Amino acid sequence: MSKRVKVNIKRQDSPDSGSYWQTFELPVEDGMNVTTILLRIAATPTTTDGEKVAPVAYDACCLEEVCGACSMRINGKVRQACSALVENLLKEQPEITLEPMTKFPNVRDLVVDRRRIFESLKRVKAWAPIDGYTPRGEPDRMSPSDQEDAYPLSRCMSCGCCMEACPQFNDKDDFIGPHAVSQAILFNTLPAGKPLESERLDALAEAGGIAACGNAQNCVKVCPKDIPLTVSIAKAGRATTIHSIKRFLAR
Amino acid sequence: MSSQTATTAISPREKYYFLARRLHSLTGLMFSGFVCFHLLINATVLTGGESFQFCVEKIHILEHMGILVPVEMATIFFPIAFHALFGIVILLTSQSNMKDYPYGGNIRYTLQRLSAVVILVFLTMHIWHMHWLGKPFGGAQFDPANATSTAAAAMQSWSLWAPIYAIGVAATVFHLANGIWTALITWGVTIGPRSQRVAGYCCVALGAVLFVAGLGAVRGFMTYSVADGNETAAVEQVEESGH
Repeated sequence: MSKRVKVNIKRQDSPDSGSYWQTFELPVEDGMNVTTILLRIAATPTTTDGEKVAPVAYDACCLEEVCGACSMRINGKVRQACSALVENLLKEQPEITLEPMTKFPNVRDLVVDRRRIFESLKRVKAWAPIDGYTPRGEPDRMSPSDQEDAYPLSRCMSCGCCMEACPQFNDKDDFIGPHAVSQAILFNTLPAGKPLESERLDALAEAGGIAACGNAQNCVKVCPKDIPLTVSIAKAGRATTIHSIKRFLAR
Repeated sequence: MSSQTATTAISPREKYYFLARRLHSLTGLMFSGFVCFHLLINATVLTGGESFQFCVEKIHILEHMGILVPVEMATIFFPIAFHALFGIVILLTSQSNMKDYPYGGNIRYTLQRLSAVVILVFLTMHIWHMHWLGKPFGGAQFDPANATSTAAAAMQSWSLWAPIYAIGVAATVFHLANGIWTALITWGVTIGPRSQRVAGYCCVALGAVLFVAGLGAVRGFMTYSVADGNETAAVEQVEESGH
């Protein structure tokens, strides 16, 4: 119980101000995760220099790795704060470093504006079109093999880890990101999503769509939900090519 | 947001990006085919000056037919020019993060872009050094009529050509092998992790063969004795005795 941990946090007061580092030290608790660290710091926000500072701003919600809210760079690698256990982090390096995700505009401290995640999902129409006045009836049944393909993709929680780790997702490119490609493939597999299949493939064939992928395959390595993102990407590559040729020949 | 702007006014970038990326992949595959052919033919110099001369003359049958330059332009020069120019556009949109995420795929992603820059420099030097396009600039030391001895003389004309060609071959072969691996994903041929892994082994094997062939060719031309270069006569002798 006497073991203590040093935590270096990259802070930023407002979207336009510069960033700076502060170090905090606190006792390690059993089963402690990064969210607990931030909670303890918020209770007594005093740095190792003895300076009393504003509590560190951070996002957290479900605390069980299903909501995707608490993504941040922990020891230089993007992951969920709630499932990052201090015990494991200290095996990586003697002190813990926390930074906000770099690919999204900073709001304050560890909080970022993740609107681009949602904009990407809107671009590929990642939903089942069920609005309207007339009853649509039951969608077609899915084969067990389709269910097995679709279920892992449905675990996506839009946490942004795949985008943060992607070398092609940045300010210089308008890549929609691996999650949106995967969600487009998911909704194209679901019978209820089929009516928009062609529109999703059109969106994937736009600039910043599937063609922007550089096959670094970091996405699948950092995905906290073990979603086979690179399988979705390859499927999208095949589907958009066939779709585009069909489109061209139908003109 | 962007989908609304897309419906009102589609920019050329928006309209042709997908096509350009697919053509970039296709032209890369075309040039890969040429490089395989090129390196393996060069390696024939290891079995003697006349075998390389013989291969070059077989290719230059196209010249007698008057279609060598059009074929060269259509299947090699224009595809690689497009691949290089659009490749620069792609290069400018990447942001390597190899230090934070040192995974195999990510390292290859960065090396693919680094090797592209090396190849761009090497290929420019190589075309100036050997190809007739380099003639106005004082290059073009290769003469198909005396293929082996002129290539050997060109290679031996400067002590740095051998290491430059070795680096050029290494970068080209890596870019080619990794490019074929990613093209198979891009076109949706290898979809699952297992098929991608097997394709990876095949690409490594192809790359290894080409690398050995390329280095062998460099060595062959470096050690070929230019003084007794009578490969043309030798080929003529062989052809005459064959008839």
